[in-house]
Amino acid sequence: MSWNDVLTMLPELYLTGAICVLLLFDAFAGTRYRSAMHWLSMLALLVTALLVVSAQRAIPATAFSGMYVDDTLAQILKLFSILSVALVFVFSEPYLRMRKMAVGEFHTLTLFALLGIMLLVSAGNLVMIYLGLELLTLSSYALVALDRDSPRATEAAMKYFVLGALASGLLLYGMSMLYGATGTLSLPGIAATLPVTPHQSLAVFGLVFVIAGIAFKFGAAPFHMWLPDVYEGSPSAVTLFVASAPKLAAVGMALRLLDVGLHPLLPYWQDMLAVLAVASLVIGSLVAIVQSNLKRMLAYSTIGHMGFLFLGLSAGTSFGNAAAVFYAIAYVLMSTAAFGVILALARAGFEADRIDDLRGLNQRSPWFAGLMALAMFSLGGVPPLFGFWAKLLVLQSAIGAHMLWLAIVGAFAAIISLFYYLRVVKVMYFDKPAEDSALLVSSDASLRWVLSLNALALLALGVFQGPLLDWCLRGFGG
Amino acid sequence: MCAVLAAEVAGAVLAQYWPILLFMAVAAGLGMALLTIGLVVAPRRPAAQKLSPYECGFEAFEDARMKFDVRYYLIAILFIIFDLEIAFLFPWAVVFDRIGLVALIEMVLFIALLVVGFIYIWKKGALEWE
Amino acid sequence: MTIQLLAFYFFAFFAVLGALLVITLRNPVHAVLSLVLTFFSVACIWMLMQAEFLALVLIVVYVGAVMVLFLFVVMMLDIKVAAAREGFIRHLPVGIGVALIMLAEMVTLIGLRAMQVAPPPNPAAMHGESNVAWIGTALYTQYLLPFEVAAMILTVGIVAAVALTLRHRVGVRHQNASQQVAAVARDRVRLVSMPAERGDPGAQP
Repeated sequence: MSWNDVLTMLPELYLTGAICVLLLFDAFAGTRYRSAMHWLSMLALLVTALLVVSAQRAIPATAFSGMYVDDTLAQILKLFSILSVALVFVFSEPYLRMRKMAVGEFHTLTLFALLGIMLLVSAGNLVMIYLGLELLTLSSYALVALDRDSPRATEAAMKYFVLGALASGLLLYGMSMLYGATGTLSLPGIAATLPVTPHQSLAVFGLVFVIAGIAFKFGAAPFHMWLPDVYEGSPSAVTLFVASAPKLAAVGMALRLLDVGLHPLLPYWQDMLAVLAVASLVIGSLVAIVQSNLKRMLAYSTIGHMGFLFLGLSAGTSFGNAAAVFYAIAYVLMSTAAFGVILALARAGFEADRIDDLRGLNQRSPWFAGLMALAMFSLGGVPPLFGFWAKLLVLQSAIGAHMLWLAIVGAFAAIISLFYYLRVVKVMYFDKPAEDSALLVSSDASLRWVLSLNALALLALGVFQGPLLDWCLRGFGG
Repeated sequence: MCAVLAAEVAGAVLAQYWPILLFMAVAAGLGMALLTIGLVVAPRRPAAQKLSPYECGFEAFEDARMKFDVRYYLIAILFIIFDLEIAFLFPWAVVFDRIGLVALIEMVLFIALLVVGFIYIWKKGALEWE
Repeated sequence: MTIQLLAFYFFAFFAVLGALLVITLRNPVHAVLSLVLTFFSVACIWMLMQAEFLALVLIVVYVGAVMVLFLFVVMMLDIKVAAAREGFIRHLPVGIGVALIMLAEMVTLIGLRAMQVAPPPNPAAMHGESNVAWIGTALYTQYLLPFEVAAMILTVGIVAAVALTLRHRVGVRHQNASQQVAAVARDRVRLVSMPAERGDPGAQP
C-alpha cells in the first residue's frame, strides 16, 4: 500500500467517509433533520462526482496490487451512476416525505449501493467483482423491503433475495472454476493464462455459471423472473433506483469479466449471449403488451432493453462494447424520466402505477404529459431521440460481428415493443380522465425542474449524440 | 523433494490434532454409552396420559413451539456481524509483526467502520430490550 | 496416511448423512441440528486438508452464530411442517433427474481424467508456515482492499438489519440505570414547607 494507491481511489474513499458521517448524522439527529439528510447526500454525490472528474487520466491506473482499476470506462460508468443516484434522490424526496417513509436509511443504503457500483465497475480482480456486487445487492434487498408494512414489498424483497442469493452462488461457483483452471484471481492474469492452460474445458464450465450470474443481475431472460415482481412490489422510489444505476453496474461487471478476463473464450460466450439476447427480446416485447400495471410493463420493457444491450455485448468488438455502454446510459436516463413522472403523479394513497391512472393526463398537465410521451417515444426508439441512436448502434455492432439474424430479431422486437409504448401515449392524449380521477402533478419545484431537464436531455442527447459516443468509444481504445 | 517435505510437514501438523480426535471419540462414545444405558436399564412403562404435556392441570392451550419475537433475530444478526469481525482479527494477530505499521492502519480502518455501525445501532436503540 | 484416509471417510460419511437428514427430517429444528452436524464434519475435513483457519471459522461463525440465527428464523416463521413437506416425494424424481443431468454434464465437460491429477502441494506447508499465517499475509498485503470492502458489507448488514427489524414500542417503561445512579436524596424526597392548617375546631363534624 502506498500513498499513490490511496490517491487513485480517492472518490471511493471520500464516499465511504461521507456515508459514515451521514450514518452518524442520521443516528444522532433523528427524523427532525430529514431535509438536511437529503442535502448532505446531494453534497456527497457532488463532491464524489468532482473527484471522479478531476482524476481524468490518459492511461489507466491500478491500485492495491491490481484490485482496483481506474480507466475511461470506469469513469463514464461512475459519473452516470452518480448522476442517476442524484436523480433518484431528487425525484423520490416528495414521495418519501408523503409516505412517511422518511427514514435516513433510504439515503445511506442507496449511497452504499452506489459505492458498490463504483467498486464493481473498477474491479480488476474476481474478488473485487464479487464484493462490489454483494455491496450493491445487499443494499438493494434492504431498500426493496424498506416499506416494512407493505406485504407486496416484503414479498418482492423475499423473491429478490432468494433468487439473488442463488445467482450470487452460481457466479461464485463459476469464479471458483475459473480460479481452478487458471490459478489466478486477477482478471488480466486470467486472460493471459487461459490460452495456455491445459484445463480450458474447466474454464468453459465456469464460464457458463458466470454468464448465468451476469444474466441474472441484468434481468435477462430466462433469468428475469425477479424483475417484474420487484419493479411492481417495491415503493416507486426504490423501483426508480433499481431500474437505474444497477444497470450501469451490470454492464461494467459484464465488460470487466468478459472483455478483460474471459476474452480468450469469446467464441463460447458469444453464442450464449446471443441466445440470452433473443430470449430477452422476445419475452420483453411480447409479455409487456398484456400488462395493465405501468411499473410491471416497464419491467418487461427493461427485459427487452437488456436483450438489446446483449446484442452489443455479444459482438465482442470494441465498437460493440461502446454501443453497450451507450445503450446502458440511454436506458438509465429514459427509465429515470419515466419513473420520475410516476413519482411526480403519486400522492398519499395513490400510486399512479396503472396505465389507466394516466388517462387524460394531457388535459390536466400538458407539460408533464409531453415529458412522459418523450420518455415513451425514446424508450420505443423513435428518431431522433436518444433511445433511437442506442438501438441503432447495437444493431450496427451486431451486423458488424456477422450476426445479421440477431439484428433482424432485434429490429422486429423494436417494432413490436413500440406498440405498448404508444399505448401509454394514446391513453394520455386521447382518453378522457375519469370523473373521480385526481391527477395532480407534485408541486415540488426541484422535482419539476429536474424531471423536465431529464426528459429534455433525451431529446438533446438524441440530436447531439456524437460526443457521448466518442467518449464511450474512447473507453475501449477507439 | 518439495512435495516430500510438504507431506512430512503435513503429517506433523495433523499429529497435533491427534488428542482432539481422541477427545471427540471419547465424547461421542461417552454420550452414546450414557444414553444406551438409560434406554436399556431404566424401567419404561409409557401411557397416553403420562406422556401428555402438563399445563397446570388444564388441557394444553397451544403448541409448545410459539413464534419468537423478531428482536431475537436482530440481536443474533448483530452478534454474527461482530463475530465475523473477530474472525478477521485472528490471522491479523498472527502476522502483525511481519507486516507492521500498514497492518495496524488497515485494521484501525476496518474496526473504525464497524465502530461507526456500532454507534449507529446504539443511538438507534437496537441494543435496548423494551 | 491411512489414519488420515480413514478419518476422511468417517467425516465425509457424516457430512453426507447430515445433508440427507436436513432435507428429509420432518421437524425443521431437527433439520437445523443436522445442518450443524454437516458443517462440523466439513470443518473436520478441512482440518484434514490443513485449511485450519477456514475450519475454525466454519465452527466459530457458522456453527456458533449462523445456526443460532437459523434456529431463531425457523421458530419465528412458524412453519407448518406438513405443508412444507407436501410434494416432497412427488418432486423427488425430478430433483434426482436434474442432479444426474448436472453430474453427467460436469463429467463430460471436465472429464474424469481431471480428477486424477494430483493436487498441487500446499504452499503454506512447503514454506514451513502455518495456514493462518499464510492467509494473514495474503489478506493483509495483497488482498487489503477486499478486506476493507468486507467491513463495508458488514456495516450494510448492520444498517439493513436495523432498518428492517427495529421497532420501538410506545409506552414502555424503562429502568434508566445512569439516572438511578446519579440520583441524590433531593430528587427522591421533596420537602415542602407549608403553613400548618389551623382550622376552626368547632367546624369539625
